Amino acid sequence: MDKIFFIAKKELAAYFKSPVAYIILVLAISIFNFFFFIIIDHNREASLRDVFRVMEFIFVFFAPLLTMRVFSEEKLTGTMEFLMTAPVSNTAIVLGKYAGVLVFFTIMVSLTFVYYGIIEYFGNPDLIATVSGYVGIWLEGAFFLAIGMMASSWTRNQIVAAMTSYMFIFSLYFSTNLTRYFEGSVARFFQHLSTTNHLENLVAGIITIGDITYYLSGIFVCVVLTRLSIENRLY
Amino acid sequence: MITTKNISKNFGSFQALHDVSFKINPGEIVGFLGLNGAGKTTLMRILTSYLPASSGLVLIDGEDIVENSLAIRQKIGYLPETPPLYSNMSVRDYLKFAAEIKGIPANQRKSQLNKVIEECQLGDVSHKSIATLSKGYKQRTGIAQAIIHQPKILILDEPTSGLDPIQNLQLRNLITNLKDQRTVIISTHILSEIEQIAQRVLIIRAGQIIVDESLETLLNSGVSAKSGAPEQSGTLSLEEVFINLHDDLSVKQFG
Repeated sequence: MDKIFFIAKKELAAYFKSPVAYIILVLAISIFNFFFFIIIDHNREASLRDVFRVMEFIFVFFAPLLTMRVFSEEKLTGTMEFLMTAPVSNTAIVLGKYAGVLVFFTIMVSLTFVYYGIIEYFGNPDLIATVSGYVGIWLEGAFFLAIGMMASSWTRNQIVAAMTSYMFIFSLYFSTNLTRYFEGSVARFFQHLSTTNHLENLVAGIITIGDITYYLSGIFVCVVLTRLSIENRLY
Repeated sequence: MITTKNISKNFGSFQALHDVSFKINPGEIVGFLGLNGAGKTTLMRILTSYLPASSGLVLIDGEDIVENSLAIRQKIGYLPETPPLYSNMSVRDYLKFAAEIKGIPANQRKSQLNKVIEECQLGDVSHKSIATLSKGYKQRTGIAQAIIHQPKILILDEPTSGLDPIQNLQLRNLITNLKDQRTVIISTHILSEIEQIAQRVLIIRAGQIIVDESLETLLNSGVSAKSGAPEQSGTLSLEEVFINLHDDLSVKQFG
């Protein structure tokens, strides 16, 4: 357990030593702020529902940028050999790296908590819906990051890692649009696959076991596949 | 201490190692020699459990390295051919991270860190970013991470490659100091180094061990592939022996 912590700490420190992390952080928060004020001004209601949708859309683009280096950089520079010959299990390596990325992402999300303070000051927002919305976008972001980490474990090229992540994440995010071309079980399959459908309930303040299971099982599958990938040296 | 039994390693249809067997006793200093692509790095990676063998068995202190991988990795310090360094870290931060993941107890971490920094003469650069270090210092940092957890076995893959003569000498002195305390396996292309450091030599060609001899026996018996006759005692350097062995494809029975 302590080795997971050490790897996560190293991973987090690596983000803050890189200008990319600051650029992503500043860019993401600037975009969130911009849309927060636009949405509040337009809707004139004390709710973060539409802000969550914007955040979800931004994560589609930012998650691969955050995760593309996680394993591919280690492979390229040879430090993967250092990690994998140290007395650390492959599971600890994967969980440590994932935890590091998640903490960075959580910091990014937590910087938007101030929005609730603002709407609380001026209106009467639904706290439950806000909390469940945050749970939803955090889970969705965590799922996207797990996909990005998995793709990063397949290659030593960061660009290839990012492109592969985009392919998976776009497929999940936009799969709801395919439902109009199909009927019956195929349409239901695409509907179930879609991340936006699962987030919809959560931003509306409805927490269902099905939605939570969708995200957690997606994360679990990606983490397991990442572990298998590094174990089988798929590079 | 280290026993390998009939190790083979295939990468697709390419056989990198074929039926490699040897024993290395505690405290021995063994040089792995071979041309580029002979299989030295693959063999070292199998010994460190970075790569699994396609077939065969590796035992360290009687334990199978596949079944007891984590416990055995604790006993091994490994410097790959390219030092595995995080260029965005300082030397001290990197070694601290190495100490953490190699399971050094928190109350011993600082003293162990200071000890290897002193041992590897990294004091002047310990707060510098690894990205700014010279190749010699990077190599020393790589060695420092390999010995920080006081492993019983040290595996060094071409530790002196690309260094200038002074850095080379400094690094060789460092390795000479380390060898008193542990089993060392070292691969290099600089044969004079092996003559100065190693007690025993394994020459690998095309994935097979063609020579497994003590350095003294090898140099004294000599072999001339051109004449096929033994040279006079002590007349050949290791370099001449190595070249002769690679000139002659029929020397598999040497020794």
